[in-house]
Amino acid sequence: MANVNWRTINIDALDPDSPANFDLSSLTPSVTPVSTADVQSTAGQIRQLLRGGDNEGALQGALENPPYGGDDKGKEVHLATVIEILQSIRQADMSPILSRLYSAPGGTEVLDVLMKYIYKGMAQSNAANAANTANSSRMLTPQHTSTRMLTPQTTGFSQISSRGGEGGGQAMSVLLSWHEKLVEIAGPGSIVRVMADRRTV
Amino acid sequence: MRKRRSISQAYARQDPCVDTPASVPHHEAPLSSQSLRPYLQCVRSSLTAALSLSNFASQASERHNVPEIEAASSPEVLLNPLTVSRNENEKVYIEPSINSVRISIKIKQADEIEHILVHKFTRFLTQRAEAFFILRRKPVKGYDISFLITNFHTEEMLKHKLVDFIIQFMEEVDKEISEMKLFLNARARFVAESFLTPFD
Amino acid sequence: MLLLDYQNVLIESLLRDRFAEGASPVSIDQVVSDFDGVTFHISTPEGKTKIVVSINVKCFAELVQYGAQAILEREYGPYIVAPEQGYDFSVQVDLESLPEDQEAKDDLVRRISLLKRNAMAAPFENAFDEFKQLQEEASKYTSESAPQGVKEGGETRAIHYRDEEAIYIKASHDRVTVIFSTVFREETDRIFGKVFLQEFVDARRRAIQNAPQVLFRNDPPLELEGIPGINNSGSGEIGYITFVLFPRHLTDQRRADVISHIQTFRDYFHYHIKASKAFIHTRMRKRTADFLQVLRRARPEAEEKERKTATGRTFKVAS
Repeated sequence: MANVNWRTINIDALDPDSPANFDLSSLTPSVTPVSTADVQSTAGQIRQLLRGGDNEGALQGALENPPYGGDDKGKEVHLATVIEILQSIRQADMSPILSRLYSAPGGTEVLDVLMKYIYKGMAQSNAANAANTANSSRMLTPQHTSTRMLTPQTTGFSQISSRGGEGGGQAMSVLLSWHEKLVEIAGPGSIVRVMADRRTV
Repeated sequence: MRKRRSISQAYARQDPCVDTPASVPHHEAPLSSQSLRPYLQCVRSSLTAALSLSNFASQASERHNVPEIEAASSPEVLLNPLTVSRNENEKVYIEPSINSVRISIKIKQADEIEHILVHKFTRFLTQRAEAFFILRRKPVKGYDISFLITNFHTEEMLKHKLVDFIIQFMEEVDKEISEMKLFLNARARFVAESFLTPFD
Repeated sequence: MLLLDYQNVLIESLLRDRFAEGASPVSIDQVVSDFDGVTFHISTPEGKTKIVVSINVKCFAELVQYGAQAILEREYGPYIVAPEQGYDFSVQVDLESLPEDQEAKDDLVRRISLLKRNAMAAPFENAFDEFKQLQEEASKYTSESAPQGVKEGGETRAIHYRDEEAIYIKASHDRVTVIFSTVFREETDRIFGKVFLQEFVDARRRAIQNAPQVLFRNDPPLELEGIPGINNSGSGEIGYITFVLFPRHLTDQRRADVISHIQTFRDYFHYHIKASKAFIHTRMRKRTADFLQVLRRARPEAEEKERKTATGRTFKVAS
């Protein structure tokens, strides 16, 4: 006890009535718990749609059933599914698909969920790896080579070659495109709702 | 109507996913500017959304009014943070709260030289934080430079111009760093050749 | 100001003024600093016409060991006097017995202002002579049959001319190797130095084929094996820059220039690192001002409002 610097103790944390201990769960709408296995089976169904060429249906299915009640693992699985779908859709098809989703009943909700996934995807530091393994679509190939081409910036020395950190740029670029289109259709309000919604994906 | 046209224009300008004719190879410059534009666009819209601030007095201590994102004393007024990233080395982290937003930028550093230049430059700026109003004196961990915008800033300054500032900052910083690096290399070359020429 | 001068400009201008036609003798007492912690003392202890120039070099003992005394005697023969207290070497010029013609006068000024260069030249000259000797000897053998001593070259001369930095010179039968050890005080210096040195290394490949070969590394090169006082921490703070001078640079007519020039390397190098830092600072300052300008645009114009008082008079309020 003698070593504890009592000046640095955060007494607010010890006081149940302090605002620091506000019960956040009272702000979160109740969500039904989802098990990781359920998420995985949904992911399987969605992949089936994807393989059948129904990208739009896959996207809609994935976004209508966000595992709000899942644990971290389950959310991770669903994120990977969504990103895989996003990467399989050609850029030219993005806006039409979004427009159709938006005009369908509950469209705002669906697009808000998509916005959440886009931000989550960008927050993931290892998204690059996830994307590279998950991604089998051809749309990435032409740029992929050119990304590599710009890699060597030789000044000769053994500089930290973190140019390899260009990695993930490809996956991010897809998400950024989606983001742009999504804001055009759903408006900045959907970004605000991502920030304010206590139900996280 | 107007909206649709702007969308199709956006397509015409850049579309990395549309199959390009084989005769048009991807060059470095268009590639990087291509991915830069959506990145900045995304930062812009995210910032615009995050900069909806209102006055909010501290709940923890009476007659105090502090940026809640820094004080973190009331969890219910903190919102979900957003990350916008272009790749591993270029990221913007936006932490919104009811009366303040913290924006942290990770600047691209391709090698040792750029690293030291970024370090010097951001230190140079943060030491002048007083004049910059919205600059945070210390970057958030893992980032190179941070800004802290409170409701008082948005009240007395124009919000869209603040966003413009951040965007322009991001653009210029990259340019500045690479120009400084080029300068250094050019000078080094000239200096070396001047010294060695008399031996020739 | 790109290349550094070999001579000490202060001594030069001071002597030139005194030597000038019709200049009246004055008493002088000045301490002048030069690179590498060298100090000069210019004074007139005996009378206004007798100027004594003394030099203090940190590593004078080492220089003497490599024959500095002989070289200084060759250069300053009749002018040498006993070294002043606290200094290593002194020369005295009597204004009343200066050489007659202008050219000889100028030459004397030049020679005295090169005092530091001449003192430091000793180990270089020594090594160059050894190179010549070895070359001659080596020409008697084929490369296989040469005895070890000829092949390997002689001992390595070390001159600890600064507190933590030194020059090492080693002669072989086909080249003379000059190694500078240098300390980078901070990270920025180290990285800037790297950029500069890379260009030194590349310059030969790119533009100046006849330049000495330049090598750079952070651990002591092989030539320095077994030399006492080598810092082998490998911390990256110390750099070793090797210049390989080829026979082309060692001919009699060129050696004086080569010696002068290579002596300035360390200071030239660090000077340009500092200059680059200064430039980048100016640049950042300017860029910062630009950013402030942009930020200021975010502030709405403080419009001047006209207001009326109750009596109907107007006045202006700076919002």
